[in-house]
Amino acid sequence: MNTKTLNFSLNGLAESIEVTPRTRLLDALRSNLQLTGTKEGCGTGDCGSCTVLLDGNAVNSCMVAALQVEGCEVTTIEGVGKPGNLHPVQQAMVQEGGIQCGFCTPGMVMSLKSLFDEQTNPDEETVRVAISSNLCRCTGYTKIIEAARALGAGEVNADKAINKNGALGSRMTRIDAEQKVTGRAVYAEDVQLPRMIYGVVLRSPHAHAKILSIDTSEAEQIAGVKAIVSARDTEMDYFGYELQDYRVFAVDKVRFRGEPVAAVAATTIDIARHAASKIRIDYEELPAVFDPEEAMTDDAPLVHDDCSAYALDWETERSGNLCYRLEIDDGDIEKGFAEADEIIEAEYETPEAHPGSIEPHSSTAMPDANGRITVWTTTQKPFAFRSFLAKALKRPVSTFKVIPTQIGGGFGGKLFPCLEPYAVLLAERADRPVQMTLTREEEMYGTLLRHPAKVKLKTGVKKDGTLVAHSVRMLFNTGAFGLYGPNTAALASLMATGPYRIPNVSITGLVTYTNNVPCGSVRCPGGPQMAFAVEAHIDKIARTINMDPLALRLKNAWEDGDYTCSGQKLESVSMKECLQKAANAIDWDKPRQLGEGKGIAANWWVSGTWGTQSLIESNEDGTFRLITGTVDMGPGGLNSSVLQLAAQGLGVPVDSITLVQGDTDSMPWDHGTGGSRMTFTIGKSAFEAAEDIKQQLLEEAARDLEASVNDLELVKDRVQVQGDPDSHVLLSKLCYQRHKKHGGPMVGVSSVLDDPTPTTKKHPVGGFPAASFCAHAVELSVDDSTGEIDLKRYAAVHDVGNAINPTGCEGQIEGGVAMGLGMALMEEIREDKGRVMNPGFADYLLLTAEDMPPTQTILVEQPAVEGPFGIKGVGEPPTAPPTGAVANALVDALDLDVTRLPLTPEEVSARIRIRQS
Amino acid sequence: MINDFDFLQARSLTEALDILSANSDVLAIAGGTNVMVNMKRAPLETECLLDLSKLDELKTISEENNCIRLGAGVTFSHLLNWKPGGVIEDLMQPMCRAFAGPLIRNLATVGGNVCDASAAADLTPVLVALDASVELQSASDGIRTLNLVDFLQGVRKTARRKDELLTAITFSRPDADDCCFYYKLGKRKADAISIVSLAMIVKLEKDKVASSRISLGAVAPVAIRATTAEKILQGAILNDETIRACTEAAISDSSPIDDFRAGGDYRRQMVGVLVEKGLNAINNA
Repeated sequence: MNTKTLNFSLNGLAESIEVTPRTRLLDALRSNLQLTGTKEGCGTGDCGSCTVLLDGNAVNSCMVAALQVEGCEVTTIEGVGKPGNLHPVQQAMVQEGGIQCGFCTPGMVMSLKSLFDEQTNPDEETVRVAISSNLCRCTGYTKIIEAARALGAGEVNADKAINKNGALGSRMTRIDAEQKVTGRAVYAEDVQLPRMIYGVVLRSPHAHAKILSIDTSEAEQIAGVKAIVSARDTEMDYFGYELQDYRVFAVDKVRFRGEPVAAVAATTIDIARHAASKIRIDYEELPAVFDPEEAMTDDAPLVHDDCSAYALDWETERSGNLCYRLEIDDGDIEKGFAEADEIIEAEYETPEAHPGSIEPHSSTAMPDANGRITVWTTTQKPFAFRSFLAKALKRPVSTFKVIPTQIGGGFGGKLFPCLEPYAVLLAERADRPVQMTLTREEEMYGTLLRHPAKVKLKTGVKKDGTLVAHSVRMLFNTGAFGLYGPNTAALASLMATGPYRIPNVSITGLVTYTNNVPCGSVRCPGGPQMAFAVEAHIDKIARTINMDPLALRLKNAWEDGDYTCSGQKLESVSMKECLQKAANAIDWDKPRQLGEGKGIAANWWVSGTWGTQSLIESNEDGTFRLITGTVDMGPGGLNSSVLQLAAQGLGVPVDSITLVQGDTDSMPWDHGTGGSRMTFTIGKSAFEAAEDIKQQLLEEAARDLEASVNDLELVKDRVQVQGDPDSHVLLSKLCYQRHKKHGGPMVGVSSVLDDPTPTTKKHPVGGFPAASFCAHAVELSVDDSTGEIDLKRYAAVHDVGNAINPTGCEGQIEGGVAMGLGMALMEEIREDKGRVMNPGFADYLLLTAEDMPPTQTILVEQPAVEGPFGIKGVGEPPTAPPTGAVANALVDALDLDVTRLPLTPEEVSARIRIRQS
Repeated sequence: MINDFDFLQARSLTEALDILSANSDVLAIAGGTNVMVNMKRAPLETECLLDLSKLDELKTISEENNCIRLGAGVTFSHLLNWKPGGVIEDLMQPMCRAFAGPLIRNLATVGGNVCDASAAADLTPVLVALDASVELQSASDGIRTLNLVDFLQGVRKTARRKDELLTAITFSRPDADDCCFYYKLGKRKADAISIVSLAMIVKLEKDKVASSRISLGAVAPVAIRATTAEKILQGAILNDETIRACTEAAISDSSPIDDFRAGGDYRRQMVGVLVEKGLNAINNA
């Protein structure tokens, strides 16, 4: 394409570059000028992660042709502030904890800078509007809005911005805050390698079809095409987590619209796309099935010929399109219903939803000289991805070195290798590095979604509100592949009683295959689905027996010593405290105005599963390295609370410990991030590793000081004799002599294993180390003519056991609230015969800063018995209760029957019409 | 092969018009927010992009003899900060706040929004209610003026000839005592695509409606006038009965589609709800 010279001013300096008419300003910055602080989240102007200032105005750089900025002044995040010399807006973001994954952060900073360039103390509404084009999936905007308030109020300064106090319970600044707020953090698409080319996946245009032939000959002739791969030239095996039913490419037939059929790499992404469009595939369409109930009928088209042949770690009954079935019984359900005064039945439905990370999936693979392959990627589980690649492509695990990059949001969406295998195959074929990035459109059908669910509940209750029987039928539509379907159903079954004592329970979980886009493990898998059904149902029961919904919950809420439906005895149960605090926060007992309502919902979740290993190694100057193979997908546990726990274990200041992260060749194995395990599990191992090395230091010092280990204490930078600080030896001296003279560094090690907690019943999830409890409450108003809901205020109460870093806890909760409110109000993947109708952020709507209600986050700290320092996981749980809380508040306002999400104006309006008729 | 296209940046209106008349396949962009979004999705079907963003003569708002002239290059941010007072401000301000988000408002232009001719465009119902005209210029024929409702011919279809440029939008300032109402119904509070939008201007004389213009967005291929509804209002006393008849007429004036954004039934129902809201608001003012 014809290139032209573009002259403009960039961050105050003159620039002259060659671009084409096709080059967007975003491409010019990221590719031509290697300024990768400006991010591409969607490329369609819907997310704001590419925000720059153009002649002082904040704009989407993806919507500006580079040549349009001739003679203009452009300011990017690189021109705003640097680590150690932050712009006031950046200081405010760091100080108030407005940064999590950091992917939206540069754009957010640019919008805020533009606002504060114009006014010094904007009101809250003005701030919300100013950042309403900038989507953030992690923070729920609350701390970003707080950052703007603090800046306007003159409460921000450079000294205060970074808190280095690493004591447990301190609001220590996460150590990656400065690199993220200045756009210096390196994400997967920021990886640039010499000779790198670009790949795309060719996907099935049909929901169900036989592949008759694949002809790549025309595509191969196109100049610039370097590699084409498909099933016919790839050695493949089935892979997955508990259920292994997925292969890298469709073989013989495609099962969903979007299934990978081939992949192409070329010197530019445009050539690769063009070549993919020239691959000729003959399909013969097959009858397809999309409805999960229909899928279970005898004459439904089979998605898999024999699904029972797929490896599954758990026992189940499978046939036809039934991917997984689970039955849990507790007590005597018939006897329970016989004892009930009222029996309340309803069916609830939740939509397919998207994890919604603002960072798209991106992977880069590079073959090396000795036949191994390095993969840079955005993954929650570097080691699991290494295993996936090995199993999927039939290679030894040692073939792959996975280098995790910064993760621009995970939420379960980065648990499955949707690009890595193709990048590997193309890089091998082309013998050069290949980078692949999903477009936002592909994100919506080329990754795994949250399972849509139908939940039938039948509950028996006595007049006094005692719940006596609860029968549950949950149906999850897993789409074309099972993958996490069984896990989702199993976790959901644990949540099927809610946090309530019900003596007689019968639960059936069903997972069916259909020709829809496959589903995976999205933050709190099964949680929001069940929480909506159970919590809406509890309110329905309360109305039936004319009891206050809060009172009904308090009457039946778990207490210490109660059991889950899987037969695990619960300890440190704070359910009632959470409920009461949430209710108080929105003045539950005060009367509602016309058209206003209040709703409450409770939830619980499991935390602290799977194994990891942490190492702490001494440096020769008496500082330390915390070495872990895990990754931080944004919440910051690894970048703050895990370090705080390590510092606590050692007794040294937190900034004398460096966090070391790296690749799967050099790091100790870890299961990855997810499952609300970071602070609980990795924190525990970091603490134990710190205790281990501390013991070694004390022993080394005992020799040096000729004292008994028991008489020594480690204080900051030295080991001293208790009560005699003059008798001491500096850690720097101890470590130096150990390194130089006595066999190298000291290493503290801790392996935390998945230690099963006993249960009285057999349940696929098994026992879990700790439960966490939460309750949310919301006050809203609704326009009964249009169906529009306006959230007035929100309260989220979470028992986190022990808030190691309260800022991190609150940030996760606020982000989870935003995600749950999204499911409650607007998020829904709309599939029409397997075609995603709303593939992008213009029509798959996340909450904006204007939609997020003022949110009060209340931390309860009732220590867990099992957790390190009583910690309970907080990552997933906040996602679940918003669905139920909003639904119940709506019912409270208008006395409707609410059984389906999301509660769009149209859905609310339909419910109002049903009530009126 | 991948389509190749040229990029030209016009330095004057005359130059832009010359380029348009000399080339048969030119796509003019100003803010670029409609064109660039497609760059990612599909090859751009044009031989040449013509950039109008440097044409300062298109970026002015002026008023002469009660006639307002919005240059085609005026951005929505500019429009949001414009304080003309009266009905114009009361319609334009809420429309601009509901138009996309601040980032796009800083780029998108009024000319671009009108020429894009999306069924869900936010600006056009307001302009239709203001009975606006568009000014089209070409190198060969100079200026011609068309009423906006005649300019908008269908989804993504306008009466603009390939050699013409939409240079301005003009409309008369409504009388100081005219009443108005604007409402956009979307799925979230910011950056939402319109499900239904309504802009109306009503002139009351004593307690009767002397005249009215009711415009609806996103319920027909283009922003429409609810002419049957307007006829019912003409000369009528604004009471419950009139309002009911008017909302029913407005519903019949609309022809919304069913799509994943909203069902046709809901859109129709909301036409009635919004018109009723508007008339009640005007009646109670």
